[in-house]
Amino acid sequence: MKLKTLELLRNLPHRLSRSRRWLFVTVIALSLSPLNTRADGIGDILSLFHTITSTLQGPIGGALGEMRKLSAEANNFRQEIIWPLAVINQARGFISATRARYTGLMSQIEGIKNNSATLALPMQLESMFRGAQSGSIGQIPSLYTQVYQPVALSGIAQPVQRNLMDIDDAMSMNSLKTAMVSDQTTQGMLTLADSLEQHAMTAAPGSASMVTAQARVADLETQAQFAKMLAAQLRQEATKLAHQNALLKQRSVATQSLHNQIQQVLAHP
Amino acid sequence: MKLPTLSRIWKVLRNAVVAVCGLVIVIALLPSKARSQLGLDPCCAIMSAGLNSISGLLRNVVAQPLGSIQQNQQQSANFEQQVVFPTAAINQARNMAFQFQSQFVQTRQLFQLPISSATLPTPQLLEQSLLSGNPSAMPQITSNYSALYGTVMPPANAPQPVRNMVDMTDAEAQAAMKKAVEIDALANLELQAAEQINQQLQTAAPGSSTILEAETAAWLVRANAYTQSAMAELVRVRSIELANSSGQLKFSASHAATLQTTGNQVLQQGVQ
Repeated sequence: MKLKTLELLRNLPHRLSRSRRWLFVTVIALSLSPLNTRADGIGDILSLFHTITSTLQGPIGGALGEMRKLSAEANNFRQEIIWPLAVINQARGFISATRARYTGLMSQIEGIKNNSATLALPMQLESMFRGAQSGSIGQIPSLYTQVYQPVALSGIAQPVQRNLMDIDDAMSMNSLKTAMVSDQTTQGMLTLADSLEQHAMTAAPGSASMVTAQARVADLETQAQFAKMLAAQLRQEATKLAHQNALLKQRSVATQSLHNQIQQVLAHP
Repeated sequence: MKLPTLSRIWKVLRNAVVAVCGLVIVIALLPSKARSQLGLDPCCAIMSAGLNSISGLLRNVVAQPLGSIQQNQQQSANFEQQVVFPTAAINQARNMAFQFQSQFVQTRQLFQLPISSATLPTPQLLEQSLLSGNPSAMPQITSNYSALYGTVMPPANAPQPVRNMVDMTDAEAQAAMKKAVEIDALANLELQAAEQINQQLQTAAPGSSTILEAETAAWLVRANAYTQSAMAELVRVRSIELANSSGQLKFSASHAATLQTTGNQVLQQGVQ
């Protein structure tokens, strides 16, 4: 087949005359030339425009429209649901009203004096240890000794008893001093609480967390001070227990001694 | 002569007719209008209309929503800066932390004031251990306690139940004293931590303050746990005290019974 085709092509110039050759070439050329070039070009452009406009109107325009809607909704949600200005101001107003309602009352209660002693020396001591002035701590031993007497002299009491008296007095005075310090720091913490409330009154939603963190730190301070007081109470209670136990030991020794003496008396009538 | 001439003419005419027909066909099939580079073409009008349409779409469908989104975001940013996170309020909160620092330092210093009050050497030693706030000084508490309050009586001096009770009471009293030292030491650490957290708050941002708050909350939980353990120790001290009262009542009852029995025996011997 291939050979036949080649043979035909080879003999074609001999078979066709000159005019037929022209006709043949013309027909071949025309059959190869694109007939619808112009129509196809315009169609493509129109199709392209159509694609671009439909893309702009559809995916891009639709998405942007949705984004605009979402953005507006989020904005409204923030301003009307999460942080509505009116409610924020209402909360600030509430703090202000609470302060106005309770601050005076609480100050009055705090200001009540609990002093109850009637005699001169106890009054002095009571006034001192209720004064909440740590600078007066040094005056406690002398006033305490005036009210409760100093430790018995060595000729009057046994050394064991003198030691017991001394440690009891010491723990008692320690606790009174710690209570004075605690009262003073309590005043400081109440001032901090007041300051926190004032700041809360003017705080913004974004800065309120900082005020809260500050309040937490103050709370930790208060807990530490409370622990200090509890430690003082533990010392007191332990000393009291040890004191009772020491007396029991002394009584036991005394009883045994008495028992021995009675036996000696009975053995030598 | 005529035939070859006619034949030749016929051939020429035929070729000419064929050529003309071919030309007519070619002309008929060729594009009737060529697009010129310089002259106006209907295609330009189509392109112009298309581009105008695209421009209009960009203006209406793209630019307007984008402008609206930008406006929303600007409004949102203004709201956050002026209402939610105003710089003035944030700085005010930082300044508050700065002011609190001095109060915290003062508190710590107040609790470090010397409060020791014992006057005799032996009580002074025990008091020193108890107020030291130093857990490593705990072993000294045992020896100082024994020096002051004595040890458990020897077996010859007291019955075993009494010795047991005395030992238990000494143990609880010493444990409470040791717990007091521990609690003091822990409270000192809590005060230090509070100061350090407060220092961090002086430069904190609204976003980081919640982290510091969480840290403080953790310390608070810890502090509450320590307080609870101290309360437990206090409850134990009171329990031992109550148990001692009960024990002493039992011993008294026993002694009274013994005394009565002995008295009866003595009286019976006297009668006989």
